Amino acid sequence: MAVQIKQINSRKAMNNLRSYIKKPANIITVLFFVILLFTVCLPLFSLVRDSFIVHPGEVRDVGAKVNSFTLYHWKTLLAEKLYDYSRITFWKPLFNSILMALLSCIISVGFGGVVAWLITRSDIPGKKFLSTIFVFPYIMPSWSIAMFWENFFKNSRIVACYNQVGMLESITGICVPEWMLYGFFPCAMCLGIHYAPFAYLLIGGILRNMDANLEEAATVLKASRFKILRKVTLPIVMPALISTVLLVFSSSLSSFTVPSFLNKNGSFATVSTTMRSLFNSSSMQGQGFVIAIILLVFSVVILTINNSLTGKRKSFTTVSGKSGQVSLVKLGKARMPIIILVMIIAVFFAIVPLLSFALESFLEVPGDYSTFTTYYWTTKDTLEDRVFGSSQGILVNPTIWKAMGGSIILSLAVAFISGTSGIMIGYASARKRGSRLARWVSNMAFFPYLIPAMSFGAVYLSVSYTKTFSFLRSSIWLLIIVGGIKFLPFASKSGANSMMQLSPEIEEAAMIIDVPWWKRMLKILFPIQKASFISGYLLPFISCMRELSLFVLIAAPGSIITRVLQDFDTNGLTQVSNGINFLIIVIVLLVQFVTNKLTGASIDKGIGG
Amino acid sequence: MPKIILEHVTKRFDKFVAVDDLNLVIEDRDFITLLGPSGCGKTTTLRMIAGLETPTEGRITIGDTVVFDSEKGIDISAARRNIGFLFQNYALWPHMTVYQNIAFGLENLKWDKARIKERVAEMLAMLKIEQFGARYPSELSGGQQQRVAIARTLAPSPKVLFMDEPLSNLDAKLRLEMRSELKRLHMDTDSTFVYVTHDQMEAMALATKICLLDKGVLQQYEPPLDVYNAPANLFVADFVGNPTMNFIESRFEKTGDNEGTVTLFGRTIKFKSSSSLPESMDVVVGIRPEFITLGKGSFEGSVYTTLPSGMETTVKLMVGKETITSVVFGSVDYKSQSIQKFSISGDGILLYSKDSGKLEAMGSLED
Repeated sequence: MAVQIKQINSRKAMNNLRSYIKKPANIITVLFFVILLFTVCLPLFSLVRDSFIVHPGEVRDVGAKVNSFTLYHWKTLLAEKLYDYSRITFWKPLFNSILMALLSCIISVGFGGVVAWLITRSDIPGKKFLSTIFVFPYIMPSWSIAMFWENFFKNSRIVACYNQVGMLESITGICVPEWMLYGFFPCAMCLGIHYAPFAYLLIGGILRNMDANLEEAATVLKASRFKILRKVTLPIVMPALISTVLLVFSSSLSSFTVPSFLNKNGSFATVSTTMRSLFNSSSMQGQGFVIAIILLVFSVVILTINNSLTGKRKSFTTVSGKSGQVSLVKLGKARMPIIILVMIIAVFFAIVPLLSFALESFLEVPGDYSTFTTYYWTTKDTLEDRVFGSSQGILVNPTIWKAMGGSIILSLAVAFISGTSGIMIGYASARKRGSRLARWVSNMAFFPYLIPAMSFGAVYLSVSYTKTFSFLRSSIWLLIIVGGIKFLPFASKSGANSMMQLSPEIEEAAMIIDVPWWKRMLKILFPIQKASFISGYLLPFISCMRELSLFVLIAAPGSIITRVLQDFDTNGLTQVSNGINFLIIVIVLLVQFVTNKLTGASIDKGIGG
Repeated sequence: MPKIILEHVTKRFDKFVAVDDLNLVIEDRDFITLLGPSGCGKTTTLRMIAGLETPTEGRITIGDTVVFDSEKGIDISAARRNIGFLFQNYALWPHMTVYQNIAFGLENLKWDKARIKERVAEMLAMLKIEQFGARYPSELSGGQQQRVAIARTLAPSPKVLFMDEPLSNLDAKLRLEMRSELKRLHMDTDSTFVYVTHDQMEAMALATKICLLDKGVLQQYEPPLDVYNAPANLFVADFVGNPTMNFIESRFEKTGDNEGTVTLFGRTIKFKSSSSLPESMDVVVGIRPEFITLGKGSFEGSVYTTLPSGMETTVKLMVGKETITSVVFGSVDYKSQSIQKFSISGDGILLYSKDSGKLEAMGSLED
């Protein structure tokens, strides 16, 4: 009897297993669970471990054997009183970073939110043009605004910029004080402007999807415009607003490129720039890992706050009603002044930077427009010995073109990996909505977003230091893996969004007539949601093309274009770095434009707005 | 009191004309339903009267005030038209409790706290949702949300109440229940109701007058039974009534002032009317299913399908190439393909001009 029951039970389990495996969504879920466990969770453990062990260069300072356990890194960084060490290397930079992140949050959410409201809810003219150029700063590399800021404000009174003359001085003769060029204020401004389009896309998406009836109901009940905004619109978009704030905060906090560009006078250390220099010195890597962990903890705390604020009782999922019939707010007399002001700001940060990069690359003496030359584009002379590889003019420089090719290949590979994985994960989580494993997978897929780019690089740096994975060190494969994982979050989010919109019946109709799974994906699901799927590839491509912080620790010199750019910039060859930046932006904009025209995909769809 | 007048109201979205030259007078305390198939412009009309949509042309007057006039450039905002609006999806604010949702409009009217509290309690009791005051909308069922939406709309006692398919998201049983409550509410509140629906049964049951629209053009504007008994044109005749009216193409020959003949199923039959008849013409004869009596008579048809629904049974017959629908009281099962005799009775037989589709005559058939 007992044996029989046991047999029946085991047969039942076998059958259950068999029917579980039959569904592709289950296989994908399990597969990605394992992959993400290895690529997201394990490296995190390795990171934590690295902050507690002795690395080869640290033997003398710590006074212990390589790989032995130590609390030295934590103790030194957080509590070393000697020479005020921990205050200078950790607490002060942390304070600086938080302050910078706060201000950039206010700028980006304020500016992006206002523009989002204007575009979705008011009768402002030129909406299409405005929304196109407004996202430019987000498509550009994050340091572009910083570089432009420097090009614009640098002047002959400031030593740190080699007394070069900037646009403002050469046009008006005004020399701004140093605090406006380098340090806290410009860093926060540039980050704020860079993330404003991001805030605009997120908030605009919510406003666009929000049921306009909710506001109309308040109008009919005699609430004033301002009261509707305060009592209805804002509370409803608040969760989106808060998550935008938190995402911008966590991105700004760990931003590396902007402070590294706008800290030439060395007055404004941030956690990320400190982390970079700790990693660079062979005897302090452990402390670098400690900072990476602390940044990570910040992000996790932010995510937790975010999760606990959204959802729950006041479910904010707004059923879209007849929102096609939004009654737009008439701006009246303020219409023209508002559009002129917004346009000026948008053009100033979207189009003028491009011009300035192009222009700067043609000037022998920066800022002096009479010294126009094509020298930096065409010369075969060696411009500077300190840069890695060749330092000939941009057009004839083999290092630059090889790196450009490397970046494009890397971006294509990364876009392919994260875009495809994103669709798969989106598919699995849409089909297996409510299953715990699927929820874990989609959470894990979003996790890389919260890990600051540089810490993420650091995580993999530490992996590549282990014996087993040493073959990855400085190789393109490492970059591809890191990029593929790091840019997965938005790809999987947009994949999930577009899959959720497709009812399972569409696929089931094909299942009934026995169409295999891959064919259902390729011939049915993909064509229907073509635009948003391709957006899921586009965003990782663009992000990867312009990425530096993520790769700065792990990329070999000369392997990717952003690394080469930074090399030229730190060595004072601003003509070349401006020229390279111009090329990157042109390529990215071109790719975005062509893809958009051909397929209708766009980065706002990629962000899930 | 609030009488609503629409004069030459037109709304165009780019080139698409949603509402075309609409003239309408809604009397005080009427219960008007705007009825029509989807995309006919009924919601747009409602939203224009409410002030949520701006007409392209025309004039709208509510009570003594002109609230919109395209020529004089008058456009009073929805907030100042003193109206109530019930949305199809309820549009309850998800971040406010039921109490806060209902109190919101009263706060805007600067009522004092005690009075608001009293009024909200009154509304909650009236709609039998007292126990849900502290809940959020997402914690309520569809029917409960519906009641909250009604309470919120009624709380400031608007004199004009607009409703945009408020029952379409409810299940069949609840819909019937809410329908009778809405009608009761209309009597209790002495307000003017304007109600949008695509469900002709709902329109029939609720309205004092039905306004039927098609492709943005007014088709008929009369009390429900008049619309049912004498649809002004073929569109209305086809749209109103379930099962739909039988249409048979035919030829009308005038023989006297009140008399003529029509050909039906290959036979010539006398047509009599109490009013004078038009000249001879090609017509479409419209016969309501209830005027076709099965069992005896001079016509014959074979049973195509029988659809019993308990209280009544719909029978479809084939007579030559025509399909004729009849409704029989009670549940009767006719055998498929069996031959049944039938007669055409009643004085509500309608003749429509084949060319214009307009109602030309109403009378009875005599074998």
